Amino acid sequence: MVFSSILFLFRFMPAAFLLYYLTPRRWKNLLLFLLSVLFYCWGEVRYVPLMLASTLVNYAVGRGIEKFRRSKVACRLFLALSVTFNLGSLLFFKYANFFIGNINTFFGCGLGLLSVTLPLSISFYTLRTMAYSIDVCRGNSPVERDFIDFAAFVTLFPQLIAGPIVKYTDISVELKERKVCADQIQRGVFTFIMGLGSKVLIADNIGSLWNEVEALGFANISTPLAWMGVLAFSLQIYFDFGGYSLMAIGLGHMLGFEFPQNFNYPYISKSVTEFWRRWHMTLGGWFREYVYIPLGGNHKGKVRQYFNIFVVLALIGFWHGASWSFVCWGLYFAVFLCLEKMFLLKWLKKGRVWSRMYLLFTVVLGWALFAVADFGQLRQFLHRMFVFSPGMDWVYYLRNYGITFIMGILLSTPILKRAQKRLNNPAADAAFSVAVLVASVAYLVDSSYNPFLYFRI
Amino acid sequence: MLKWAKKYMLLILFWGFIGVFALLDLLIPWREFSEMENRYLARPPVFSTDGMIKNTYTQKYEEYINDQFFLRDGWITLKSIGESALGRIENNGIIYGQDHYLFDKVTHMDLRQLERNIGHIEMFLQNYSDKHITLTLIPNSYAVLGDKLPAGFNAFDQLSVIQEYNDRVRAAGGNVCDIVPALMEHSGEYIYYRTDHHWTTTGAYLAYEAYANSLGVGYKNLSGMNGYEVEDFLGTYYSKAKPFSAVPDSITWYDIGAASVMIDGQEYPGLYNWDMFQRRDKYAAFIYSNNGLTVIESGANLNHRADEVSRVLVIKDSYGNSFVPFLLYSFDEVYAVDMRYLLDIDELLDAVAFDDIYILYNLASFAQDTNVFRINP
Repeated sequence: MVFSSILFLFRFMPAAFLLYYLTPRRWKNLLLFLLSVLFYCWGEVRYVPLMLASTLVNYAVGRGIEKFRRSKVACRLFLALSVTFNLGSLLFFKYANFFIGNINTFFGCGLGLLSVTLPLSISFYTLRTMAYSIDVCRGNSPVERDFIDFAAFVTLFPQLIAGPIVKYTDISVELKERKVCADQIQRGVFTFIMGLGSKVLIADNIGSLWNEVEALGFANISTPLAWMGVLAFSLQIYFDFGGYSLMAIGLGHMLGFEFPQNFNYPYISKSVTEFWRRWHMTLGGWFREYVYIPLGGNHKGKVRQYFNIFVVLALIGFWHGASWSFVCWGLYFAVFLCLEKMFLLKWLKKGRVWSRMYLLFTVVLGWALFAVADFGQLRQFLHRMFVFSPGMDWVYYLRNYGITFIMGILLSTPILKRAQKRLNNPAADAAFSVAVLVASVAYLVDSSYNPFLYFRI
Repeated sequence: MLKWAKKYMLLILFWGFIGVFALLDLLIPWREFSEMENRYLARPPVFSTDGMIKNTYTQKYEEYINDQFFLRDGWITLKSIGESALGRIENNGIIYGQDHYLFDKVTHMDLRQLERNIGHIEMFLQNYSDKHITLTLIPNSYAVLGDKLPAGFNAFDQLSVIQEYNDRVRAAGGNVCDIVPALMEHSGEYIYYRTDHHWTTTGAYLAYEAYANSLGVGYKNLSGMNGYEVEDFLGTYYSKAKPFSAVPDSITWYDIGAASVMIDGQEYPGLYNWDMFQRRDKYAAFIYSNNGLTVIESGANLNHRADEVSRVLVIKDSYGNSFVPFLLYSFDEVYAVDMRYLLDIDELLDAVAFDDIYILYNLASFAQDTNVFRINP
């Protein structure tokens, strides 16, 4: 089930929250767990057992580590169990065919591909439960003794499908003691609506431009249209994923949870370094905490640091999809991160305009890498971008998408937030929100195009 | 109390809106057919565990919820207003052209299906080389009224395809009635509907005139016919895009004497289904829309000769519906077949002698129709 759907807005959400607000405190987590499993069932019934198994294993690991706290070996064994199970299921379901395909290519074997589909949100909940086990082993997190509470944490439907990657430590207190107060709920409603509008009114709209460019074929478009296309994709992926994160965070507020922020206006960054602290913050944070720092971070010398950066970015790319193009996308950023760490960052910090232009150019080019999976097509597309190809086709698309572009570009900056703060008028906020909500519902009812890019990650 | 309401205005509005619509949506019974969109709406799907596992049930259920959502027509209009506010000149695959013309947004056509279908025609020409066969491929509105398309939009080049296929049919021994010059000459007139994918009756007449000339038979002038107009026609393009700024079309039908009308073996009172003029899909009034075999005996043939029965067979799609009535002025009997509803015509071709077999398709249909193969035995 996608949040941006009539089904969710007018069936699941009102029913779920009505039940939630009426349920006494001690049963709230159980209700959340059941609702979340139902939510997951709607997307994929088949893999519910896998998710529940992951919950069980990691719960048991947590309890086990606590019980055998004194034995370091036991601690490590339990951790190994958790990591093996989590990584194992992720590697199998998501990457098995990738590995098989590569073995076939490089060693000339004819191994058959497995017919497995990707379980919904496995990339997310495996990271979260692994983080729990690692934190418990390190002693950074309390152990969750109540299975229902732990299950509620794992399956929590606002962030179940596509993040933010909420760690157990983020909400361990709220799991046990949260109050549902009108202020927080209202804040949640506002955030939710902003997310909904981002996805439905901007992302889905501008996304169809990129789709059309793809359908026209990169050999048939002019250079201006190629740039418009990749800009459209850049806006789409930000508002799609950012919008979904906002919806998740908003729903979390409405349930009494404070989820961590996931996007902080990444496109106003002045450097790639800054960008990765503003884009998909919970993912970057996870890899920093559980991969970069254990590898040594920047404590083992410059060369080792650059190596660590390459490994982490390659893994982040790989996490996005089982394909070399995603790995390359990650490595592409690793290059810039290292260059910045070497010398570029000092200068970038001083600039105001040129450093932002550098960042936008780098990131948009990166999205071309991300969006075009096939290397041959990518070459064709890059050729279109950098070798001038005339044509008037862009005129039509500019007319069609011009205003949406402007909206997208403006809303990528904190301009709206600042205006809201300056105006400081709750009635205006309410009116604006309701307008966005009503417009979004209209677009959802008549939607011929309502994808969610990160749904299959 | 009021202070509380002011402080939590958004909260109240949000849950009020969601709650009211959710409740009303659950209580209001579901609709079968949408006049505005001219299609059947999704009905409540039947639950099955298999469907649940394979995600077919969930998909159908979401379609059902969307299709049956309370005040759907209003929401659709609102979206159309929103699209116009965003400066969009297209919606749901329909382009907003100049002078309130709506166009199908076509950049590609299924070239493989086009190839297959022209191949069937070529084979047909071989199979019935002893008969007189004429082909006309009708260009769609965006191909003739290209100047009304917005700047920069590269529509699919229909005219080259039609030209190429005309040449191929001639090479295979068939006759071609090329109506493109006539349509282009009159492109400033009302020859295509603004809100529908069909040509107007005037456009159909231009084809009739060209066809009669290509056969060398007499035909009636449009100015000599009795025409009647039906207003407020909002066609298929409107149903898809629902632009709130659309200008409705008017359909003209001509009073042409038909001695008898038989459709699929049943007698019908006349050429036109008057009921359809009261509903949204007014074009469906012409010869009772698409049927297997329609046989019309003319009472107005200008070329009638005693002791002779002139006959024409039209193998057509829906464009032919507004074209066929004109043929009554030039032939004693008109047979019209739609290969989507008639399984084969070889018996008909063996049993009845036709002066001409006229294959009349608009290119959009020709690129999608998978029933053309039925013309061959």
